[in-house]
Amino acid sequence: MGCWFSKKSKRKSPEKEPTPKTVEDKANSSNANNIDLCSNTTEDPPKQYSWDKREKVDPKDFMLTGLKDATVGRLPGKLNGQQFVIQDCDNCKIFVLDHSATITIDDCTNCCIVMGPVKGSVFFRDCKDIKCVVACQQFRTRDCQKMEVFLCCATQPIIEASTGMKFGCFQYYYPELAFHFKDAGLSIFNNNWSNVHDFTPVSGETNWSLLPEDTVVLDHVPAPDLESEFKSVRISAEASRSIVPMTKGGRRKESDESCLFVFFSGDYTTANARKLIDEASGKGFVLIQTKEVSMRPEDVSRVFQNDAEGLLEWITNGPVTALELNGDGVVEACKSMASDMFSGTKVFVSDNRNTSSRDVDNFFNFADMQMGL
Amino acid sequence: MCDALQGLLSILRRLKHSPDQEVRLLLLGLDNAGKTTLLKQLASEDVSHITPTQGFNIKSMQSQGFKLNVWDIGGQRKIRPYWRNYFENTDVLIYVIDSSDRKRFEETGQELAELMEEEKLSMVPLLIFANKQDLMTAAPASELAEGLNLHTIRDRVWQIQACSAITAEGVQDGMTWVCKNIAVRKK
Repeated sequence: MGCWFSKKSKRKSPEKEPTPKTVEDKANSSNANNIDLCSNTTEDPPKQYSWDKREKVDPKDFMLTGLKDATVGRLPGKLNGQQFVIQDCDNCKIFVLDHSATITIDDCTNCCIVMGPVKGSVFFRDCKDIKCVVACQQFRTRDCQKMEVFLCCATQPIIEASTGMKFGCFQYYYPELAFHFKDAGLSIFNNNWSNVHDFTPVSGETNWSLLPEDTVVLDHVPAPDLESEFKSVRISAEASRSIVPMTKGGRRKESDESCLFVFFSGDYTTANARKLIDEASGKGFVLIQTKEVSMRPEDVSRVFQNDAEGLLEWITNGPVTALELNGDGVVEACKSMASDMFSGTKVFVSDNRNTSSRDVDNFFNFADMQMGL
Repeated sequence: MCDALQGLLSILRRLKHSPDQEVRLLLLGLDNAGKTTLLKQLASEDVSHITPTQGFNIKSMQSQGFKLNVWDIGGQRKIRPYWRNYFENTDVLIYVIDSSDRKRFEETGQELAELMEEEKLSMVPLLIFANKQDLMTAAPASELAEGLNLHTIRDRVWQIQACSAITAEGVQDGMTWVCKNIAVRKK
C-alpha cells in the first residue's frame, strides 16, 4: 500500500470514462465507480443509508480551529447532540454548554474548557496546560501534559503517554445542565472520576493524581466574563448546586463506618437521593460513591442476601440508585433519615455497622461487574 | 441474546458443511474507533455503557460442533505491539475506523498498511467498517477508500462498509460480506 492521506501522495487521475448518453447511464457509471472503490469482490451496487440521505452540513460549524485569546463555544441549544471538534487553540476560554455526541480536542495549549454532557467519548490529544470541566461516557487522553480535569465519567477514565494529570469531581451548574445529562443518556450517579487507568505507567512516578478536596473550581476554570456571549447563562460551580453530587471517590475515608442506602426506582428517585445527600452532608457525613444500575432477580439475593425477600418486585420498574455514606454513626443516622423522610418510599438501608461494610462491598462490586463488559 | 452472531454462526455452518470448524474474527483498529461497540452490537447487547478496552474482549459461541470466536483487541498505541499475539488462525480481519476523526486518518492508514504486510495475516479477507457514520462530519466510505488506497490491495478480498455501530445501521451488511467471503480452514 502506498501513502495514505499524506500530502505527498497524489492519487493518479482516473482514466476517462466514455461520455454517458443518458442520466441513467451516468448514474450507473458512478455506481460502478463506487463498487470499484469500496470492494474488490463482485457486489451489488451499494445501498443507501440514512447518512446518504440526510442534509449535508459544513464541518466547520462543528469545529473551533486555530483560535487565540478568545472566549468561544456554544450556547445551550446550539449544538443539540452533534459532534464537536476543538483544535489548535491557545489561551482560550471555551464553553460548550450543550449536550454532544463526542468531542475531540487536539493541539491546544493553556485553555479553560467546559464541556456539557457528552454521550460518547471525550478525547484529548497533544494538549498542554488545560483546565476543564467534563461530563462524558468515556474520557481519554494521549500525549498530554499538565491538565486539571473536573470530571463526571460513566466508565473508567484512561490516559496514555500523559503526565501531570490531575482529577477532581465534576462540580458545575447551569440551568439546562440537568436536561443535557438526560439528553446525553448520562446518569449523575455514575461517576468514576477518581479511578484512572494509565496505559503507560512509569516506575517510580505517577502520571496522575487527585486534586485537593477543597479546590475551588472557578479559580481554575473561571466563569465566562461578563462581556462574552455567555453572560446570559447563570453558571455556578458551588458544590451544593452541582448537578453531579460531590463524591469522595478514591480518597481516603475518614471513618471506618459506612452505610449502604438504596432507592428503588420511582418517580422522585433523583430528588429523593439529592434530599438524602443534602441532609446527610448537613449532619457531617460524607458521600463516597453512587451508582444507578439495573438489577435482575438473581442480583438481588447476591447483593442483599438475608434482606433480599420483599425486594424482588421493586427492581423491575427501573434501575436502583445506591449511595455509600461514611462517618461515625452513619448507619443509625441513615435509618432515622429513612423513617423520617422516606417512610412512603421503598428503600434499603444497612441494618447495623457490623454488617454495613459488607452491604457496601456486595453492592458496588456487583455494580462494577454489571457495568463492565 | 446473541441474535446477530447466532445468525452468522448458522449461516457459516450451513455454508461449510464439515463439522468441528472454528471460525475466528479479529477486530482491530485505533483506540476509540468503536470496536467494542461493534462487538456488543453483534451480540445484540446494550451499547450505551461501554468502557475503554484495557486488554481484549471476546464473544464465543458454538452450535453443533461449529465454533465462532470474535476477538476485540484494545487499540491504544502502547498496546498495538500485542496485536500480533492474536493474528494466528484469523479467518477474517475486521478493521474499524472512526470516520469522523479526520485528525487520525493518517495514523489509521499507517496501522492498516502494516497489518497488510503481516505474514500471519496474508490472504486473510479484510472488512473495513467506516464507523460512526451517524456523526455529522464523518467521511463517506468512498473517501476513506481513496485515502487509504484500498485499490492497491491485491493479495486478498476486501470491502469497505459504512456503518454506525451505535445504531447498528450497516453492520449486518458488513457481516453478510464476511459470510460470503470467509475462507474456512480445516483443523
